[in-house]
Amino acid sequence: MIGSIIIKIGFLSAIAAVFFYYRAHRNQKQQDILFGRFSFHAAVLSQMAACVIMLYLILTHQFQYTYVWNYSSTDLSLSLLISTFYAGQEGSFMLWALYTSIIGVFLLQYSSRKNYEPEVMAVYSLILTFLMTMLIFKNPFAYIWDTFPNDLVQTGPIPAGISNYVVLDAAKSIWARFPVEGKGLNPLLQNYWMVIHPQVLFIGFSSMAVPYALAVGALLKRDYHSWIRVATPWSVFGAMILGTGIILGGYWAYETLGWGGFWGWDPVENSSLVPWLICVASIHTALTQRQSGAFVRTNFVLSLLTFIMVLYSTFLTRSGILGETSVHSFVDPGMWVYWLLLIFITVFAVIGFGLLFARMREMPKIPVQHSIVSREFALFLGASALTFVAIFVVVGTSSPIITTIAKGKASAMDIAYYVKTNLPLGIAITFLSGIGQLLWWKSSTTRSILKKMAPALVLAVVASGIVLLLGYQNFFILLFVFCSAFSLFANLQVGYDIYMGNPKFVGGSIAHIGIAIMCLGFVTSERYDEKKTVALERGKPVDALGYTMTYVGYHPVEDRYAFAIDVEKGGMRRTVAPTMYYSEFTKGIMRHPDLINFINKDFYVAPLSLEEASSGSEQTLTLQKGEEAEVAGLKVSFLDYLFSNEQKAAMAESRAFSIDATMQVSEGARKKKLVLQMKGDKGEFEYPPSNYVAQDKRTFEFRIAKLIPDREDKDKSKIEITVKTSNDPNVKPKGETLVIEASIKPYINLVWVGTVTLVVGFLLTIFRRVAEARIKSQT
Amino acid sequence: MKPKIVIGVLVIMAGVILGSVSFLESNVEYMDFAAAEKSHKKVQVKGEWVKNHESRFDAEKAQFVFYMKDDNNRVEKVILEGAKPNNFELATSVVAKGVYREGYFHATDVLTKCPSKYEGDAEAVKQSL
Repeated sequence: MIGSIIIKIGFLSAIAAVFFYYRAHRNQKQQDILFGRFSFHAAVLSQMAACVIMLYLILTHQFQYTYVWNYSSTDLSLSLLISTFYAGQEGSFMLWALYTSIIGVFLLQYSSRKNYEPEVMAVYSLILTFLMTMLIFKNPFAYIWDTFPNDLVQTGPIPAGISNYVVLDAAKSIWARFPVEGKGLNPLLQNYWMVIHPQVLFIGFSSMAVPYALAVGALLKRDYHSWIRVATPWSVFGAMILGTGIILGGYWAYETLGWGGFWGWDPVENSSLVPWLICVASIHTALTQRQSGAFVRTNFVLSLLTFIMVLYSTFLTRSGILGETSVHSFVDPGMWVYWLLLIFITVFAVIGFGLLFARMREMPKIPVQHSIVSREFALFLGASALTFVAIFVVVGTSSPIITTIAKGKASAMDIAYYVKTNLPLGIAITFLSGIGQLLWWKSSTTRSILKKMAPALVLAVVASGIVLLLGYQNFFILLFVFCSAFSLFANLQVGYDIYMGNPKFVGGSIAHIGIAIMCLGFVTSERYDEKKTVALERGKPVDALGYTMTYVGYHPVEDRYAFAIDVEKGGMRRTVAPTMYYSEFTKGIMRHPDLINFINKDFYVAPLSLEEASSGSEQTLTLQKGEEAEVAGLKVSFLDYLFSNEQKAAMAESRAFSIDATMQVSEGARKKKLVLQMKGDKGEFEYPPSNYVAQDKRTFEFRIAKLIPDREDKDKSKIEITVKTSNDPNVKPKGETLVIEASIKPYINLVWVGTVTLVVGFLLTIFRRVAEARIKSQT
Repeated sequence: MKPKIVIGVLVIMAGVILGSVSFLESNVEYMDFAAAEKSHKKVQVKGEWVKNHESRFDAEKAQFVFYMKDDNNRVEKVILEGAKPNNFELATSVVAKGVYREGYFHATDVLTKCPSKYEGDAEAVKQSL
């Protein structure tokens, strides 16, 4: 109860902050700024208090709250218990609002120093207001008897011996029971990634609101240039954090969820990639505006779009609109979330783009004079390519919506679409990220640039040659490798020169080196990987992909089973232990892979299924007269039925009788007759086995399963028999078999090394741009 | 100025063409078995698992084989590359993505649709009292 009141207080404070800050923008009165500041801090404190309360409810297992019951249970470890805070929709909006609040405190001080406080904070408070609106409609503090009134609310006297109840209305004797145990956390989320990944992602999402607020603030202030310097450090910060979050998610999918790779073009992954791409594009066009003043409008559009894409992505993944076209089964969140998110998107698009349109005419037109061979043009093309990637990904992810509108029936996109559309763009982006660094502002001569490109080009040819030795894929893949290698060497060359001049300016080169290394890792690990499905019988070594694998059995780990597989190659001997278990929560089999990380590759083992041991195999055959079939190396044919007159009479007189079937079993030249029998007595039938001992001492047990005589045409009579290989001591029965998919991912470490390099590059850039923004505001 | 506009227009046109062609090519349409048989493309078919027919996992080929009945009650054998999908027994309906070829539906992916979560929740809340 207190939690929802605090959220409402926070919501009202955020509205007050919008009001006072906007009035301060209009009248420039210090008093209104102070009111705004006070209101914003009140909203932040409310949000923090609400989060503390929610965490307290979770830690103390207050299952009378629907959210706590829905996502946690008493058997979770402390860190997982904390992570149930954001396991559901309400909680993740709580986390988003919390980080938006905290970042807002820093933004408030920052924008105040830059003389931007009223405008920026008015917009930013409006964003916080909307997030809190979400929490009012999807209340994380809802009581469980309000969620399930039909099941829990009762009238009348309370039976003795019940302690988990609450009296709702003593006068009318209305009361409700509440659960003593929660439903628990989805086992897919039960690992350490759940503790860190959503946190990083939501800090990234929250910081994407800052460039939007700064852009709208700049439009309100009619400042079309200096805002870029103020905004860039935030854009780079957002890109760094969100990028880290995306890769952490990819590593989670690869290492724990067993998707087989780090990227599956899943709507959830795509929805965080799109804002990141737009944000990175805006960092590049901002660079041009700082240099030459061009791209005024483009920078506004991209900064606004970054946040609007965060909202659109949230809409796609949270509203349930993708429905059954996504592998992720999103719980239908109800109409409120759907419409609120739509309103959310519309409001911020109308404010941002409406204001931009209104100010369009008065914006200075900076003539773009530079030539094709210039850094500006390379940056422009690069930013366009990034935007194109974002558009393709958005269109692909939205395809259920697009096809519903066009055809009336939702259908999803095959992931081949993303590769097809993005590969040419990837080639362009990597090439531009190399050449753009070598080019000078304004204009370079074609000759000078060719001369500078020469070393990187030569090294890239060598690198492509080495990749070609791994095997030829196709021309575009090879071109992508070439351009990535070119970008790597060009940026190493430029980075070294810059480092010698001013080490503080080296961030851009390092970030590009990171991207180039990642791109090379994408190709080697995804295009040169090898996969094989292997059935591992317990104790029997199997060779696959150059490794010898032996399934040695399983052992319990907590409440699941780990399958131990010995992996050998040369002198190396390691054990991998993928896990597989039945989950009551998801009512399905959960599978988790395991891997061995080598310097130059990963050996990746994903479990598929466990086949129980069987004592011999049994086969059923249906044979027509004269027909022959093969069973375990034997040729079996059906000769004829034998139903003597004597037996017919016995049957007619309801005495015990028998029908014989003559079979012929042949092994090469050896032919033997085998008689199978059916015995009937008093309406009961019996099928005694007939044994056949093969030349290799295996024993087979033959039995009639069904007689299918044809009275019209005796030659069309059929018989159904079963043939069983018995447990001959010389022939081992087939043991318990573990089926796995083994794969080799060459040089996947490049992806992780590239990521770390990229983050370092972003960090250095933030330091540089913060310092730059400080100097600018002092002068 | 002019060559840049030309380059710009060409780049945008190339992008639009690339995007729309790939979109149409890669769109995995919903259809029934009869249409899937004719299309030769990767499609998705919605239907039900036919429980009284054979369904087994072939450990050697790592394929899961089952029979599926589409909305027009046509039954086809489905060969899924991979293990038995999660929640297969519980699913009220299944969606198979793949290609119809040589008399079978070769699926690369089978999604299961389970009973509404809310009903399950009401059941679960009673159990946890």
